Amino acid sequence: MTIGLVVHPELCHGCGNCVVSCPVNALRSSEIAGGKGPTDDVEIIMIVEDGEINLRNSDLCGKCGTCVETCPVDAIKLEDVE
Amino acid sequence: METTEIIEDKNITVERTGEEIRKLFFKNELCASCGLCEEICPVSAIEVEPTGAMVRTEQESSKINIDETKCVLCGMCSCICPFDALDLEIDGESIKDKEEYPKLIKSAEIDDELCIYCKACETACPQTAITVSRELPARADLVTGEIEVDKDKCIYCGMCEEMCPADAIYLEEQIPTSDNPEVASDIIIDEDKCVYCGICKRICPEDAITEACRICPYGEYEIEEADVTGSSIIDDELCVNCGWCQEICPKDAPTVTKPFEGELTHDDEICQGCETCVMVCPCNVFSFPQPSKSGEKVPKLFKDERFCIYCGACEKSCPVDAIEVKRTKVNYTPTKSKAWQNAFESLKS
Repeated sequence: MTIGLVVHPELCHGCGNCVVSCPVNALRSSEIAGGKGPTDDVEIIMIVEDGEINLRNSDLCGKCGTCVETCPVDAIKLEDVE
Repeated sequence: METTEIIEDKNITVERTGEEIRKLFFKNELCASCGLCEEICPVSAIEVEPTGAMVRTEQESSKINIDETKCVLCGMCSCICPFDALDLEIDGESIKDKEEYPKLIKSAEIDDELCIYCKACETACPQTAITVSRELPARADLVTGEIEVDKDKCIYCGMCEEMCPADAIYLEEQIPTSDNPEVASDIIIDEDKCVYCGICKRICPEDAITEACRICPYGEYEIEEADVTGSSIIDDELCVNCGWCQEICPKDAPTVTKPFEGELTHDDEICQGCETCVMVCPCNVFSFPQPSKSGEKVPKLFKDERFCIYCGACEKSCPVDAIEVKRTKVNYTPTKSKAWQNAFESLKS
């Protein structure tokens, strides 16, 4: 049993709540901390591209659950990834 | 000898048969996912799930996993758990009741002689482990006076009844009829309820009420001291020995002994205010400070170490490593076993 970050792009509305609420993203990118998507190629956990959520670097995830709480449509979850 | 594992409602039982029967119980509800059991387990049989994920999101699994093929049922995890979520029984007896095993020295007690049943501890306890019951004296026992209505003067307007703060005045209302053209048949003052405040006297448009409080002119005249009785009970299973009751009590009635001593540090620069630690901490150590006026800059996170038990759940949960928990002392009962001593001491940082 291993809990990890899982995204469901088919459910995603592309709001970007998860991207900006993620404390790891916010620490790595001042643009994200300021509330918008990054314009540089800083390594972050997840990003919204073409209106859909994409996992970029799930190994950076601290599994705190902040993104899960902010997602309005259950498109990002912490669940068993084994 | 055979080891089996049963998981029911996220609670785990690991059992080993043989000359003696050893049973390890895990109660999911009491677990704070602090990770101490995983840290102390000599055979790496325990894995604690991500603290934030377990507390902030809905999960179907238990907060910890025990690998029964690795577990040797030694009981170290049960003796170190500050929340008593784990317990090892040997032939039906908890090792926490056996003198030869070390256990954490932790307690919380409320001195009944000092407690005034103000309920501050009950309100503050992060685990709702305290129940305060109290019996207050009747209001009438704390006042003395005289009150009377001149029924010849009373016009039954009901203003006194409406304004009485103690609900001590009652009008027997009625519909006036041609043979009895009155709006009420009687006015009754319940002297057991009356607090002799004089509001009825002052509102009465007909000066029909005479009232005199005996305390006002004479001070403590004829009144015995208010006697409040009650009880304050701490549920030992729920209590995490955080010290909130001790710190908030105006009468120094509670005494709390904490299992660990240490130091809690937090880097406000790295912190992103995600709230995970606030939600994870079983002791309500953290809060978000509110500015007292518009434009005032306050720290992202506030911590009060007086309530910390240094369990380490916050450090484990912080996704940006902004929190550090240092344990400088583990308070435990003496043991002759060097291995157990070493295990307990290894939790110091």
